[in-house]
Amino acid sequence: MTVDIDAGRVPLTRRLLANLNGPVGSIALTLAVTLIIGAVWVGPRYFSASNIEIVGTSIAIPLIVGVLASFALLAGVVDLSIGSMVGFGAVAFNQLVGAGMDPWQAAGLTLLTGVAVGAVNAYVIVGLGAEPLAVTLGMLTLLRGLCQAIVIEAPPTTLVEPLYDLTQGSIGSFPTLLLIAIGLTLVAAGFVGKTRMGRAIRAVGGDARAAGRVGIPVARVRVIALIVSAVGAALGGILYVGQLASASNILGTGLEFQIYAALMIGGYSITRGGVGNPIGALLGLLVVGAITNILNVQFIDPDYLDIIVALILLGAVLLDRIRGGDSFE
Amino acid sequence: MTAPVTAADPAPSRPRRRPPRADARSSAGLRDALTIAAVWLLLGTVTALVRPDFLSTQTLLAVTFTMAVAGVLAVSQGLVVISGGLLDLSLPVALILSAWVTVSLLGAGLPTIVAVLAGPLTGAAWGLLNGLIIVYGKLNPIIVTLATGFGGLAIMLVLFKSAQIPSGSELRAFGLGRTLGLPNVFWPMVILIVLTGLAVAYTRWGRRMVAVGGNAVAAKARGLSLPRTRLAVFGGAGAIAGFAGVLFCSVNPSFTPNAGAGFQLIVIAAVILAGISLSGGKGNFLVLLLSVGFLSTIPVSIAFFGLPPAWSLVFQGGLLILAVGIDGYRMRRSAR
Repeated sequence: MTVDIDAGRVPLTRRLLANLNGPVGSIALTLAVTLIIGAVWVGPRYFSASNIEIVGTSIAIPLIVGVLASFALLAGVVDLSIGSMVGFGAVAFNQLVGAGMDPWQAAGLTLLTGVAVGAVNAYVIVGLGAEPLAVTLGMLTLLRGLCQAIVIEAPPTTLVEPLYDLTQGSIGSFPTLLLIAIGLTLVAAGFVGKTRMGRAIRAVGGDARAAGRVGIPVARVRVIALIVSAVGAALGGILYVGQLASASNILGTGLEFQIYAALMIGGYSITRGGVGNPIGALLGLLVVGAITNILNVQFIDPDYLDIIVALILLGAVLLDRIRGGDSFE
Repeated sequence: MTAPVTAADPAPSRPRRRPPRADARSSAGLRDALTIAAVWLLLGTVTALVRPDFLSTQTLLAVTFTMAVAGVLAVSQGLVVISGGLLDLSLPVALILSAWVTVSLLGAGLPTIVAVLAGPLTGAAWGLLNGLIIVYGKLNPIIVTLATGFGGLAIMLVLFKSAQIPSGSELRAFGLGRTLGLPNVFWPMVILIVLTGLAVAYTRWGRRMVAVGGNAVAAKARGLSLPRTRLAVFGGAGAIAGFAGVLFCSVNPSFTPNAGAGFQLIVIAAVILAGISLSGGKGNFLVLLLSVGFLSTIPVSIAFFGLPPAWSLVFQGGLLILAVGIDGYRMRRSAR
């Protein structure tokens, strides 16, 4: 925390250089390399307005889900269930609206299920002291099972006008939802970096015992972080229904890998809290989105995406370890 | 029943994160076993009361078929967990990759023995790949196997869309056959669990592995090589997963690269339910027989209750949450 106070006295240029040396710097470099590959391979149309819009639309919802899930990572409790929670939120919202419920009520109920799921995760992880990874893997499977149990036949098609406008609209060539997601990222970055509460979350993730000794309510911070993570995923599900006008029972499968890979590429850790910055999450998702786009435009088997993401992820955690991040044994 | 394995009590020179719990755990293995057996019996009784035709040969075969592959995979995962390797999230890749190599070699007309040996070899190679990245990159196994799990699945999707075992092959005949009224594939699983249980509890090699899992720092201080142990465990566990792949392809006439995903949760749940704690260093492999059997009965019971198969995911997921909750609660209580 003294670092933050000292930072004010260091010249701006040196601070920028210090940032470039950190995880945000290397991810920015990765992004630049990706964009150069795109520019060379795909050509100028890679940067056309319509293509930027496609990439922007594809990463907007994962960014919202990822930024809200990043609070749990910061607090040192990974929530693997977000992919299934996105699916379950979408299925619940879509079925409720399809059955004739008022969309606002349906959205409210869906967000409440997010609170409930987050609370169950939090009770078992914080209350009983269980391993977050195993608990949320169980929740991931449970929620996916519920999705498949609810949606047996073809899901209803729903068109919620305000939601459609929100998720499909654009200001200039920038999708509205992407602007909202970037706004959320910046707010989250300010919250984590500059406020007392943000520092408390990082302290809890960095060293829970030390945080407890200085009077930070460790359990409460982690409970709230897990609930925020699940509610964020439920919100992502609702937004997907706006974008796709329906929700199948496999929606969101594997989304947790792409989001957490992007977050880890961006400087977060799923095994240690207290590190990472929402800006890194944005850059990480941009890398994943830009690679997906190159593969799509060049008609390359989308399966290669996970191979490339896995390699970048291993490279990123290795680089972080060499820089002095957490090493295993 | 073997004595529950506990990590050797390390020298109390430095502050430890985990308290010594050797005496507190001496009866835990038996208690775990009895609890699972009771819940399993309850599940069977309730299902039989609702649907008397549950007690049939068909049920027995369905449960034992599932147990065979899941049980061998649980041994593989259990070895990683007890040695302090946290978790191997890429097991489904080791399973399906080995099964694919085996059926491809059979399809190419190679002798059965070659194809069957190629399965564990493929699994060992996959496990060693993980182990090398973990040891020489000094990276957390969960992150590494999360990456290789998704990356490996994608590689398999590029390699093949669907694989079939030649219907006339000896391996397929073995998979269809029965011994003592139970599927042939059931017996290698039982033998493997018993042998592993004995080896972990009574051999020097097994003791060392558990010691590394219980307290890596103390084990290192006593001269055990952590990198060598990690490589051996990941390679060996991979070979066992490859063996599971051989059993898998002998009972499934055709499969897709995604077919392994369904085993991920049931295997981790079986390991944790059996008392092989995620923090490493303790657990009893014989209890795996009960936990795998119990978890394999759930889908069959669900079918007899007339519920869609998706509900077995709900119950298995809920059970994993419950099991790790209880595990965490016990650890916390014994820490006080």
